Amino acid sequence: MPSQANCALPPGFQLDQYRIERQLSLGGFSIVYLARDAHGQAVAIKEYLPNSLALRKEGETEPQVSEEHRLAFRYGMKCFFEEGRSLAKLMHPNVVRVLNFFRANGTVYMVMQFERGRTLHDYIRKHRGEVKELLIRAVFARMLNGLREVHAHKLMHLDIKPSNIYLRNDGTPVLLDFGAARQTLMSDQPVLKPMYTPGYAAPEQYEKGAQIGPWTDIYSVGASLHACIVGSPPPRADERTQQDTLQPVVKTQAGRYSRQLLELTDWCLHLDPQQRPPSVYALQKALIHQDNAPERPEHWFSDLGSRLRSFIGRS
Amino acid sequence: MRFTIYQESRPGKRRDNQDRIAHCYSRDALLMLVADGMGGHLHGEVAAQIAVQRIAERFQAEARPLLPDPQLFLARAIERAHQAILDHALDHHFPEAPRTTLVACVIQRGAAYWAHAGDSRLYLLRRGHLVTRTRDHSRTQLMIDQGVIKAEEAHLHPGRNRIYSCLGGNFNPQVEYSPRTPLRDGDLLALCTDGVWGPIDDDGLVVNLTAGVLSQAVPRLLDISERKAGPTADNLSMVAMCWHDEHAVGAATVESISTRTMELDGFESRLDLSGTAPGATAEFDEDEIERAIREINAAIHKIDSRT
Ligand SMILES: Nc1ncnc2c1ncn2[C@@H]1O[C@H](COP(=O)(O)OP(=O)(O)OP(=O)(O)O)[C@@H](O)[C@H]1O
Ligand SMILES: [Mg+2]
Repeated sequence: MPSQANCALPPGFQLDQYRIERQLSLGGFSIVYLARDAHGQAVAIKEYLPNSLALRKEGETEPQVSEEHRLAFRYGMKCFFEEGRSLAKLMHPNVVRVLNFFRANGTVYMVMQFERGRTLHDYIRKHRGEVKELLIRAVFARMLNGLREVHAHKLMHLDIKPSNIYLRNDGTPVLLDFGAARQTLMSDQPVLKPMYTPGYAAPEQYEKGAQIGPWTDIYSVGASLHACIVGSPPPRADERTQQDTLQPVVKTQAGRYSRQLLELTDWCLHLDPQQRPPSVYALQKALIHQDNAPERPEHWFSDLGSRLRSFIGRS
Repeated sequence: MRFTIYQESRPGKRRDNQDRIAHCYSRDALLMLVADGMGGHLHGEVAAQIAVQRIAERFQAEARPLLPDPQLFLARAIERAHQAILDHALDHHFPEAPRTTLVACVIQRGAAYWAHAGDSRLYLLRRGHLVTRTRDHSRTQLMIDQGVIKAEEAHLHPGRNRIYSCLGGNFNPQVEYSPRTPLRDGDLLALCTDGVWGPIDDDGLVVNLTAGVLSQAVPRLLDISERKAGPTADNLSMVAMCWHDEHAVGAATVESISTRTMELDGFESRLDLSGTAPGATAEFDEDEIERAIREINAAIHKIDSRT
């Protein structure tokens, strides 16, 4: 299928009550814009625009959907709604907030609170090989608060990876992109099947007949930790199940990070779900309670530790 | 409930698709529908559409989240659908009421209940074997029952398409109901129109349906039937569901649906309208889109007002 890139709406475009400022990203399923609402507040707007089914040409506003793709396009919209539905239920400092949902230009839009910062993916790329342990612990412990909230609502993220973990300028993380919520619905529409990002998806996500659960998100958390520590994700889980070439970070990275952090990364990355941390809470506790960190700045850690613990107490 | 479901409807070599299929589920009940609008009659697709839509609507009104009585539900909903087709014909001054076959199946509390009129079928497969299937309300089936022809000859018989029970039309449908049928882990239920079962025998259908996951097996089966039927292939439609015991190991797959997390009054539904006239498709989907957007915004504001 030829995948021509879709053209973004131009800066200055008035979209419902919002004015487009610029394009933030272009994915296979959607375009994200920075825009301002009527009060001048910055918002992020995600536009449903699956590359394989709709094409917006230069200078046009309505994407063209061919007759043969019309139903699939409509159906994919439902999955976009699923993402909105999931997010609308959640109100948590570490999960992106949805503000509005509307139709225009023959497609649909999700308005989110605009977060200033960058993705963890960008951060890792800039600081490859020297992402500090304290930052890793602080970011992941908080991110897991968001994930616990997701699980508390009986939802699953299923697409946790550094490019979907956003770091605000104050260092706090926000979970973005619940696009994987669409997968339950998409079982009979191969056209729109989400692409799992190789390396971050758990083995059970590749395997028919395998059980998906919180442990699946835990694997992806482990893969994201791996990316922070090593600079790249582990080998694809489906390849690992054939022949496991993953080196435990506790061996390869010894000395660079505390043994406990390395061990818990390896712990999450077990192919067997039963061998992984039994719950997000258990993993979070392990991230916060560090027994032997020689270079930990006493004052900072105790302060952060107590604050994080009070976070954990909730939900 | 946990299950995997796949549905597909295609026109075959015909210009129009007069088949309509749908499934919808609440947290605790699942409904599957297949209707084959009758080609020889005017507006067959209208009859099929009304039948599927009306029954799905009744389901959403009554499965909250369980149906009080699945068999009674089927009987009443089918009767209403039949009446709705007659009403539609009157309202639109059709010379005669359009007709459609119907096969409907409800699953709740681990058991299936089905009903059918005409020659659209339900198959129940267990461990790769056929446990039971519906018997067509057709002249051919009557002749087989009476020993006039052999089952193997049926597909050659010219009266194959002559059915004596359907929704709409001039006579009341003779609907046949199944007993309550408990399901086991891995059981497969497939509902289909004659475009699918006509060109192949039961063995072929069973073998192909049980080879691999439904989302691959069903399209492959439809391909085979369509190819075998040749240049005049009829519309082909199927809704197939694999039942998973909620507690069985390995029950959940990426493709399987668990309704455990659904709201008590929540519904998911999918009507296949691939053959509908453009206007009608747009209309139906428009409503759904509007409803989804309203619901999401309501959820956003519910949360906002808590802060
Ligand atoms: N609320 C937001 N605030 C700031 N930036 C955002 C926001 N939402 C998204 N972005 C930016 O847009 C990028 C893509 O967003 P997101 O991950 O939601 O979509 P995507 O991966 O393109 O989606 P898909 O996988 O559905 O095609 C993010 O990496 C981030 O840079
Ligand atoms: Mg993303």
